[in-house]
Amino acid sequence: MRLLKSGLRALFLRLEQVCEKFFGPALNPWVHLGSLGWFLFWIVTVTGIYVYVFFDTGVTQAYASLEYLSREQWYLGGIMRSLHRYASDAMVVIVMLHLLREFAMDRMRGNRWFPWVTGVPLLWFLYACGITGYWLVWDRLAQYVAIATTEWLDSIGIFAEPIARNFLDSSHLAGRFFTLMTYIHIAVPLIMLLFMWVHIQRHAHARVNPPRTLGLAVLGTLVALALVVPAMSQAPADLDRAPFEVGFDWFYLTVYPLLDIVSGRTLWVALVGGSVFLTLLPWLPPLRKAPPAVVHLDNCNGCGRCFADCPFGAITMVGRTDGAEFDQEARVDADMCMSCGICVGACPTATPFRRASALLPGIELPADPIAALRDRVVAATAPLQGNDRVVVFRCAHAGNLDTLADPSVAVVPMPCVAMLPPSFIDLVISRKHADGVLLAGCAEEDCFERLGNRWIDERIANQRDPHLRDRVDRERVAVSWASPVQQHRTREALAQFRQHLRAVASTVHPGRTGVAWRARLSQLAAPLRVVGAAAVLGAVALLIGWFATQPAYAYLHHDQALLKLSFSHAAQPLKPCRHYTPRELAQLPFNQRRATTCERGRWPVYLQLDLDGRTIHRATHQPAGLWDDGPSTVYASFRVPAGQHRLDVRLRDSGRATGFDYASSTTVSLTPGQNFVIDFRGAEGGFQFGRAPAHGPATHEVPP
Amino acid sequence: MSLLEWRDEFRIGIAEVDHEHQVLIGLINDLHAALGADRSGENIEEFLGEIFARISAHFALEEKDMQARHYPDFGPHKADHEHLLDDIRDIMDEHIERGILDDAAFADRLATWFAAHFKTRDARLHTYLQTRR
Repeated sequence: MRLLKSGLRALFLRLEQVCEKFFGPALNPWVHLGSLGWFLFWIVTVTGIYVYVFFDTGVTQAYASLEYLSREQWYLGGIMRSLHRYASDAMVVIVMLHLLREFAMDRMRGNRWFPWVTGVPLLWFLYACGITGYWLVWDRLAQYVAIATTEWLDSIGIFAEPIARNFLDSSHLAGRFFTLMTYIHIAVPLIMLLFMWVHIQRHAHARVNPPRTLGLAVLGTLVALALVVPAMSQAPADLDRAPFEVGFDWFYLTVYPLLDIVSGRTLWVALVGGSVFLTLLPWLPPLRKAPPAVVHLDNCNGCGRCFADCPFGAITMVGRTDGAEFDQEARVDADMCMSCGICVGACPTATPFRRASALLPGIELPADPIAALRDRVVAATAPLQGNDRVVVFRCAHAGNLDTLADPSVAVVPMPCVAMLPPSFIDLVISRKHADGVLLAGCAEEDCFERLGNRWIDERIANQRDPHLRDRVDRERVAVSWASPVQQHRTREALAQFRQHLRAVASTVHPGRTGVAWRARLSQLAAPLRVVGAAAVLGAVALLIGWFATQPAYAYLHHDQALLKLSFSHAAQPLKPCRHYTPRELAQLPFNQRRATTCERGRWPVYLQLDLDGRTIHRATHQPAGLWDDGPSTVYASFRVPAGQHRLDVRLRDSGRATGFDYASSTTVSLTPGQNFVIDFRGAEGGFQFGRAPAHGPATHEVPP
Repeated sequence: MSLLEWRDEFRIGIAEVDHEHQVLIGLINDLHAALGADRSGENIEEFLGEIFARISAHFALEEKDMQARHYPDFGPHKADHEHLLDDIRDIMDEHIERGILDDAAFADRLATWFAAHFKTRDARLHTYLQTRR
């Protein structure tokens, strides 16, 4: 697990570094996967509403209404439809990358389990949305999806009457089913939205919108894809013919081809088991972390700054418990605290100017007390020499920067640099412990503790309290945001910063507010960046466009036909009905008196099908119902070579030990792709072969 | 002699803020008294640091309360707070650089600031809170 994680992490970090060259750190899609997921959800919602306006829920109308959109109204309806499909496919890609990335970066362990665990049902909802969506088109793919899905659902064995019988042949299909599917296709995304909301509940300042530029770029790319490769229907569905090959959406239907290899039940077990395993991942193995933050009430007046800054919603402001005349106090929920220390950096009493012996802030990490941090800073900076002395505060996730230390550079590690109260910077500069302060944290927009570098930037820029006092010369305060594979950047930034410090050594810039000093790092020329970013988005779009239909999935070989044996038949009762005796009748209450009485319970149906003298189906089908008095239902499907076949089918529905109650034989000539149904109707004399018309579109419909 | 004295007219009408104003004045006086005869530089430095921290925390609370009550004059009021904190930081630095702390001057500066602040900023906040009820 650890190996897999570190391998994935290395891969992601490299890919992100490449993308960052083009997109820049703030717009790097890799750090916006979650919010891009939201953005795509809204695209799918809006386009879905548009398509729904024109969609007809009828067996033939559904297909025709979408054909109208794609062909007559290609300039708007067609684009909307394509966007609906491609944004949904993109959502699968984004969600999977999001999942893998949070796993690789280890951002789902311990107290961060909540978004991870609530994300697992989201996966199921996402797939349910996609699968029901393809169903509604009612083309050959929809036909395949409908039959494969219902057969797969039937394998669970909880439905008395197989749902797949709805799609047995064209005479079985009702328009009502489309109305139902439409409602499911609308309801599931709504429930999904609810879960998406739950998914982000434990994240303070959750990002649900990508940066505007990135969002527009993604939308633009999808529109371009919609124009280049419009989403089209395949040939209309025809339940009397089985599709040979269907253009396949590999994003949503990924597992379907497995049904050719394993049984439906096995696949259910694998998927449910996989989901359970995913759900347990945050605790495999349990995270060992520093103890959670603690509140020292003597130093807390309830100002709420830690509450405002906690990235994990672990702090709540509650009524005072110590009798002090304040309204509120901070309380840490140990089950949500990640021990990042960002709250300490926000606490106004966490200032190093205080009496060292009693330097107890309102909130702090027991493993990293602020008094010890003060001592560490003083001790580490004491031996520094020169006029370019720098103290580097580095976060635990920025990689090992201790090698930066030299006679002029001290490195002070901490869980997250946002744990550093701004007054520490004031102390270092004003007391001349060093000539400059460099804060080295995670990559921009990608803080391991979510909001660390954002809060630091805002605190230094005087946009967020506690802010760095204006009196502190910003020329002497630098930041370097870099991922673990970008440590050369921090080195470069440090070298440039020291050069800068030597240059400003003699000058003073009092009362200057503004942002922290940043190194000038080499970057690609602007046109090159735009072209590169467009190429990355375009490549992803083409992949999506390709795998949305290609490679085709072969359902039947070109010389095969489909043989289906399916019916519902109530077998003989275990005991025949009998007349009540006059004596029995007299004992019954008058309202319950009737001529005959029947005990509940039926015989099972024993069924055997021979194809050219070889038995291909032999089974005992139990009656349905709690009292075993319902009909026995049969649903079996066989891929057989086209051509002439002899069919012998026999059935026993009584208590006889040998022999059969019904038997029928016929010779059929199956054309390739034919869907041939063997039905059974006891009242009409027994077996019926190929009741359905051999060709022609499905027309049977129940009027609404 | 105490450095500062609490007066009832300083009351603004937010219980916890009024309470902390008094605590703060008491604390400043206590610290000052504890400083007593031990006028070693380190002691004075820590005394100033403690005052700086307490006043910072107090302003943080008062600013939260003002924002929660949508106080329209928040900006200038906060600016006044920052002004005092800058002042205290100046005094701290002066003390470090020159090694002196003129008690009387420090008390005077604090008292002047508080008096002015109470009379203008806090009085205005007080009026706002009264009319809002």
